[in-house]
Amino acid sequence: MESMASLNEASNRALRKTVIIAIFAAVSVVLSIVESIIPIAAAGPPGAKLGLANIMVLTCLYFLPARDTLVMVLLKTLLTAFIFGTFSSFLFSIMGALFSFVAMWFLLLVGRNKLSMISISVIGGIMHNLGQVCAAAFYFSASQIFYYFPPLMLTGVATGIAVGIAVRYLIPALTKLSLFEGFLQRS
Amino acid sequence: MKRGDVIIIGLVVVIALVFLVPRWLDTSEKNHNETRVAKITVDGKLYKTVKLTAEEQTFEVKTDHGTNTLKVHDHGIEMTDADCPDKVCLSFGFVERNGGTIVCLPHKLMVEIVDTAAGEGDGVDGVVK
Repeated sequence: MESMASLNEASNRALRKTVIIAIFAAVSVVLSIVESIIPIAAAGPPGAKLGLANIMVLTCLYFLPARDTLVMVLLKTLLTAFIFGTFSSFLFSIMGALFSFVAMWFLLLVGRNKLSMISISVIGGIMHNLGQVCAAAFYFSASQIFYYFPPLMLTGVATGIAVGIAVRYLIPALTKLSLFEGFLQRS
Repeated sequence: MKRGDVIIIGLVVVIALVFLVPRWLDTSEKNHNETRVAKITVDGKLYKTVKLTAEEQTFEVKTDHGTNTLKVHDHGIEMTDADCPDKVCLSFGFVERNGGTIVCLPHKLMVEIVDTAAGEGDGVDGVVK
């Protein structure tokens, strides 16, 4: 009977994990759509965006292990590509998403006590831009495209701070939900 | 915000400014420009070379991927219309400097400004290939 209960517990946990990944991926897709409606891109340097979807990636990284977050990142990038774009734009977004994911995962691993969500999201946003610029430079074999990277760093700081603040409000709010019980591996 | 945050954000801003400030200060390139052309490549192959004149001229780049409208004026070039899904190419605005580029990723199109007279090593911020 003991083992039966723990088996139940484990499958319950796995189920909840799947649900969290699915919800987070869905919310990031919605945030990407919302973001595409806001015409901020016209004001900033080319390629600049709010990066609202990063709110979900960072929150996911906080609650779930890196492997599950990677699944969520791939899922949201695929879904967003199906909705918006073409295969080539998928290549660029996946590069950005992976760069950003690896950077944020690394920073959370190394600097949890020294860094808050704000600087982690700033670096995540900038690495997303860097990934895309690298992909573009590689694709066109034209390194001049890096010309547009420094202005993107500045907008990345601004949007990254905003995203970081949003994450700081979101995490305590989600922690109260029973769905997230037992996933607080981090203090 | 913790101490680490301030350091990281400060570092990022400083690095960005190191690249940007010389660019803002340098306006000298704008004046001597009769020899500049815009090289338009699609799929990595040269599609067309256009002289950057002071007079206005508008032309379309029609490929299998889609159509982009470019406008040359005041010794520079600008993407004025495109039927790509993301419209990022329109946000590049008016480019007139050496090494200035406009890219339209979905259409695999790149516009690049080159000085035919100066040869290599002119653009200070240019990254060497």
